[in-house]
Amino acid sequence: MKSATSAAIATLVLSSFSWAANDAFDKGMKAISARDYPAGLSLLESALTQEPDNLQFGSEYRQAILKYARKIHPKEGQPADFDRSLKFFEGLMAKNAGAANGWLNFGFAVVDKIPAAGAISQVILANSALSYFTKSIEAKPSWIAYYTRGVSYLFWPKIFGRAPLAVADLELAMKMQKTLPPRGIYVRGYVALGDAYWKNDELDKARAMWSEGLKLFPDSTQLKDRLAKQGDDLKTYLDDVMDPSKRVDTDLKDLWTTK
Amino acid sequence: MTKPIFKRAMRAGAVALPLGLAAWSGVPAVIHFTEIGAQAGVRAQHHTRHYEGKHGDVLRMFTSGGAAAAVGDYDNDGFDDLFVTDSDRGKPNHLYHNNGNFTFTDVAVEAGVAGGNDPLSIVADAVWFDYDNDGREDLLVARFGTPILYHNEGNGKFRDVSKQAGLTKFGNTIAAIAFDYDNDGYLDLMLGNYFKPVNLLDLKDPHVLPNDLDNAVNGGGVTLWHNTGKGSFVEVTEKAGFGKHTGWTLDLGHGDFNNDGFQDVYLACDYGTDRIFFNNGDGTFRDTTEKSIGFDTRKGMNVDVGDYDNDGWLDIYVTNITDEYMKECNMLWHNNHDGTFLDVSKETQTCATLWGWAAKFGDFDNDGWLDLFVVNGLRSAGKDNYIPVLMKMIITPGIDFTDVNNWPDIGSMSWSGYQKKKMFRNLSGQLFKEISAEAGVDNEMDGRGIAMGDFDNDGLLDFVQTNADQPALLYRGVTQGVGNWVEFRLTGTKSNRDAVGARIRITAGGLTQIREIDGGNGYAGQSMRRAHFGIGKAEQIDSVEISWPSGRKEKIAKTTINAINRIVEGQGIR
Repeated sequence: MKSATSAAIATLVLSSFSWAANDAFDKGMKAISARDYPAGLSLLESALTQEPDNLQFGSEYRQAILKYARKIHPKEGQPADFDRSLKFFEGLMAKNAGAANGWLNFGFAVVDKIPAAGAISQVILANSALSYFTKSIEAKPSWIAYYTRGVSYLFWPKIFGRAPLAVADLELAMKMQKTLPPRGIYVRGYVALGDAYWKNDELDKARAMWSEGLKLFPDSTQLKDRLAKQGDDLKTYLDDVMDPSKRVDTDLKDLWTTK
Repeated sequence: MTKPIFKRAMRAGAVALPLGLAAWSGVPAVIHFTEIGAQAGVRAQHHTRHYEGKHGDVLRMFTSGGAAAAVGDYDNDGFDDLFVTDSDRGKPNHLYHNNGNFTFTDVAVEAGVAGGNDPLSIVADAVWFDYDNDGREDLLVARFGTPILYHNEGNGKFRDVSKQAGLTKFGNTIAAIAFDYDNDGYLDLMLGNYFKPVNLLDLKDPHVLPNDLDNAVNGGGVTLWHNTGKGSFVEVTEKAGFGKHTGWTLDLGHGDFNNDGFQDVYLACDYGTDRIFFNNGDGTFRDTTEKSIGFDTRKGMNVDVGDYDNDGWLDIYVTNITDEYMKECNMLWHNNHDGTFLDVSKETQTCATLWGWAAKFGDFDNDGWLDLFVVNGLRSAGKDNYIPVLMKMIITPGIDFTDVNNWPDIGSMSWSGYQKKKMFRNLSGQLFKEISAEAGVDNEMDGRGIAMGDFDNDGLLDFVQTNADQPALLYRGVTQGVGNWVEFRLTGTKSNRDAVGARIRITAGGLTQIREIDGGNGYAGQSMRRAHFGIGKAEQIDSVEISWPSGRKEKIAKTTINAINRIVEGQGIR
């Protein structure tokens, strides 16, 4: 009886907690839509504080930070515009080290700052982001975490020797996605693993991976573009894709909106 | 009466006349240069400074500039001479006297200008300017140390007058320009300082390096020195409004950016924000960086000023670092005519020039549009790459970048070396086309400075490229099928005698162009004082108007094309 009561109370507490978090999230998103960024960001932070492992809350919060930065400083914002989210996630993760999705969003928050930063700060930030993605994997291995860290390695010049690490992570992600129900988002796994093979000077494997992906996702322009290019054209194309100074789309919406 | 020596120069110009007139067909010429440094006798080997002690390797890496060249006709014989710096202890500078036949003779020792690399000072830049308006070019040698001002005695000799001129303040000066910021008829000096003012050769505290690699504010800033007109200079840095700038100044550029008759200033700063200052016309400047260009986090290396699109407003070209490891992109600041600038380097395809240093505008094919040459390359040494070694330090959490002890030695490693130089042909002010290989200038040396000149007075621009720890190169313009040209040598009377800041506006063949005489724009290189214009197939100049720093506006009649026109303020062509 005692334990059943405790469980019931716990369920009640958790559901009310979840309800409160969702309520804060919904209100926060409305405020952001109304361009009331200060109020909206506070509400989203409140939601995340209650559910630090909520991938959607974290992703929407980061997108709101980005919108606000661009509002204050057109184009990419200024580095300081992103410090609010970094400070918030730092505090959040200090108290919730087991929240794998929290680490993932922390890493993405760092990535979001990169285009606004100077060239050397970009390196420091990119390295920090990698460490947070690793913490996410350590907390709970997942397709999204391996995929994300693998792709992050691709943005490093070859001399740093991170292309083999990208291949390893993305091969794991591929292995995982092949055991999961098919979803449109998994086209990214084929694109990225092919890119990793290319960066690792394994062109045949790269083309094979892109071709395999195209059979499953015949409308993918990313795969078609890669397969249509050779030699220097392909290099120019992929160098541009992997240009660390360009903004990477870190909106995770596809994870809960695509089939 | 024309001076005999000037007649000699005119004769040289006349020799070139048939080439210019006969060759231009309206078809774009293939810009080409030939490197003739060795046969011309200007193959000066540069040496960066070696430091003693455990910090030595890192400090040497951080001060691997100092290879500079300055063009000036010190003996008024009508042929531009050349001063080339060295930087290691005891190494002499070079004063190359132009023999008039594209050979040069090093007369630095006899002239008394070879020194400067003493045990506690490093020569880093030089600028010719006639500070006392006596008609002879004097020489300022900028140092990591105190500057040296040499007075031109007029007999091939120079005298060190630094002390009596009041130029005794220590600074880690890497750039110097001479311009008349208050239009009082005397050239003032601005010194750009890289490190804060501590002597790196006698280092007491190792915390001297940038406190942030993208937003550093612990550099040497600039100092501004007002010419009293009595042979001395007085520091006016604070009074003029430059005191708050504490960045790592790497280059300085001046020009009248808003066409108000006063010289404005652009500061290129390593490890962070460039700065732009507009002249208030009352001896003070206002920092309009945020409004004019915004704050950047790049590695500003060079400032050159020119009207690349012939819209009558001066634009600014700044090099940064754009290579495999850093994607900063250069900045071609298009002047919006309202005190703001728009970076169009990507649109004009002048963004990526690797590890950029000096860049200079110049009309290399005399078609009426300013082309561009950019040098690059940090350190070409062994096959091992310093970047991964450096990266370990950079990503160490909480590392103190300012501490010399935290930086790894570079030893025999390379760092962004073996980079091909970039020359761009201006396609009518809309786009630039890279032509380095076909122009014959795609060398892989560790370039630093560029000094443009017309050393044989043939109307084709030549240039010197200085290189760190490597010999200098002299490129002679040999482009065939070029357009006609005209050069102006101005002498101020009420204005400063060098006419720095004077603006020349010409119209020929339906195209209006401007040039402003500058006092040393561009990293580690001062170009010739003469203004050079290409005019394409035009066979006459329709109008010439000069706006002198004194405020006088003067229309010049009877300009001769394919020749050097000498103009004295208020007296027209002489």
